Amino acid sequence: MKKFLTVVKREYIQRVRAKMFIVTTLFLPVVMSLFLLVPAIIVSIETPPMRVAVVDQSGRMYSQLRQAVSSDLPETATQNVNSGAPRTTTPRRSFAKFNLEEVDATNQSLDQIRANLDQRLRARELDGYVILPPDFLGQGKAEFINRNPGDVFSLQALQSAINRAAREQRLIDAKVDTKTRQDLFKPIELESVKVGAVGAQQPNSNAGFAVVFGVGFVMYLAILMYGQIVLGAIIEEKETRIAEILFSSVKPFTLMMGKLVGVSLVALTQLAIWGTAFGVFAVYGVGLLASPQITSSIPSIPFLHFIYFGLFFLLGYFIYATIYALVGSMVTTAQEGGQLAMPIILILVVSFYLFWPVSRSPDSPFSFWVSMIPFTAPVAMLVRIVTQTPPFWQIALSLLIGFSTVFVIMWLAARIYRVGMLMYGKRASIPEAIRWARQA
Amino acid sequence: MAANETTVKLDGVSKSFGEFMAVRDLSIDVRAGRVFGLLGPNGAGKTTTIRMIVNITAPDSGTILLFGRHIDSNLQDRIGYLPEERGLYKKMRVADQLRFFAEIKNMRGKGVESKIDEWLARVKLSEWKNKRSMELSKGMQQKIQFITTVIHDPDLLILDEPFSGLDPVNVELLKEIVLDLKRAGKTIIFSTHQMEVAEKICDDICLLNRSRKVFEGSLREIKSSFGRNSVAVRCEGGNGVLDDPTLVSKLVRHADEAQALLASGADAQTLLKRLIDSGAVISKFEMVEPSLNDIFITKVTEPA
Repeated sequence: MKKFLTVVKREYIQRVRAKMFIVTTLFLPVVMSLFLLVPAIIVSIETPPMRVAVVDQSGRMYSQLRQAVSSDLPETATQNVNSGAPRTTTPRRSFAKFNLEEVDATNQSLDQIRANLDQRLRARELDGYVILPPDFLGQGKAEFINRNPGDVFSLQALQSAINRAAREQRLIDAKVDTKTRQDLFKPIELESVKVGAVGAQQPNSNAGFAVVFGVGFVMYLAILMYGQIVLGAIIEEKETRIAEILFSSVKPFTLMMGKLVGVSLVALTQLAIWGTAFGVFAVYGVGLLASPQITSSIPSIPFLHFIYFGLFFLLGYFIYATIYALVGSMVTTAQEGGQLAMPIILILVVSFYLFWPVSRSPDSPFSFWVSMIPFTAPVAMLVRIVTQTPPFWQIALSLLIGFSTVFVIMWLAARIYRVGMLMYGKRASIPEAIRWARQA
Repeated sequence: MAANETTVKLDGVSKSFGEFMAVRDLSIDVRAGRVFGLLGPNGAGKTTTIRMIVNITAPDSGTILLFGRHIDSNLQDRIGYLPEERGLYKKMRVADQLRFFAEIKNMRGKGVESKIDEWLARVKLSEWKNKRSMELSKGMQQKIQFITTVIHDPDLLILDEPFSGLDPVNVELLKEIVLDLKRAGKTIIFSTHQMEVAEKICDDICLLNRSRKVFEGSLREIKSSFGRNSVAVRCEGGNGVLDDPTLVSKLVRHADEAQALLASGADAQTLLKRLIDSGAVISKFEMVEPSLNDIFITKVTEPA
């Protein structure tokens, strides 16, 4: 055990001290925050409102339009069903704001008005004008003359506003009173509630899904980044020819486990630093920019589930990392290993597709078995936990099978490694590796 | 440790890799406090024998006893093994590296630091203590590798070709250290195919050839058993005489002298007389012991 810790310590300290580690650890949060902050800053830049003149030949539209523009709730805006509380009337930040101006259409001919407005457009006193013909409410056709037809955002916002204004006016014309009008357009709320749920304290599957996706993504990221490092670490002693010296002191299994755990601690250190940076950023950075309601919607997930997330994240990481170790035990250089390791990543990607069948029927035999197979269990079991939490024995069994597999693979890797070392510079074919594993 | 105690005892040990039999029915005794030379050409089975002793690989049959016990991981800590294939962690600093190798042998605490300083001073590399090993020359790296083998003060030292690639000054330095360790009561197994080196430091030798033991015993014994049938000659002329196969079975010419192995039945007196008769001017004529190299070649080329 002491020797194991010695190997872990060396692996960890050497890697954490390396310049590469320090640079990537600091660099990623910086790049990430740039990616998130810069668009937010750009979007938040206030553009001056668009000056639009309105020629209301129908005579009944202007005041409605004015109201529609000032409330500025686009027709397409969907209510977020999961955000709990119904949305307040806070105006949504939008790409376009308008300064409306009514043009008196009574005393002049339309051509005169057009000529007049065209001139103001060219003189840049206006950004555009809308002509609502006398039969607008019936025909529903209007014209928007402007300098920049490419500005689709403004066009859409304007269209949406006119649309709402026309709808309101048509309802008024149809003698629908104000209260009825408001009730008609009250959005509905669809809340997904798990069967047997009592009150609002029950886990929210949607939030759970998001977290499972998050866990899966971080797992994938960790394996992509650190699988290759595990492989390199396993090969290190072969390439530097230290293996034989070490094997006169430690068992190959101890060495391999020590290296795996050492590298993994480095990975966890880095992820923890990034996680903290991300958390701080999420609370302070985004909080400053976005409206306060975003941060307040932290999903309600039971504490126990977080423990499961952690355990299955570790399981997923270790299962795939040990495969890299196994590959490392068979090859002599890191390049060879990289090629052999590619199919491994594919298994992982495929396991992500289980998300859909398992979430649809979390208690089917299929879901049960994929959540027991170590290579698919991390994703499959997490999906089951957030949808219909399976009995504890199943979760425990899945973890037991998974972590036992990790040990078996490492044991195999150690055997192959040792026999391979006794025959210098030879890369093992799969049948050879099997034979080596059987040899003492 | 008593002088006649056996540190390593192999009894009927065999090991094969697939079809190939690397070691065949090998029995040796390595006595405590002596330098034991494990000699033989490449592929004779030296490295496999050593690996079985240090518990990297297990014999197919036969038994190996270390310090009178079967090998286990505690016993491993009493061995210092310098393999022929050896290296260092490239990016690790020398001191960190030595500390790691000491800890991996279960040596911990304050003693480690003083040992590191002591050994670095001894191989004259103190100022390199905080350098990364890839900044060191090959010779320096070899000396660091040597320290990794001895830092935990092992009772049994196994050195596989320890001097290959070193310059003469450093060979001398390490040789002195090995002899010092022997004087301190350590047992040393020394594997090499360089007979000149073995000849100078080994007390006992075991000659391996094609997986089998050819000879085992003290260096003195083997030399005297071969007798003084070799003559070192420095002379001008007399070439025909030295080339006569009835007198000289083998002639090795060095820069200014030749070494003649007498043919069976011939004696030195006859050779000297023939040389004088042929008119050669003799400046040196000396009976010498056969070199270990000669013995080695004779034994290895002998029909089995």
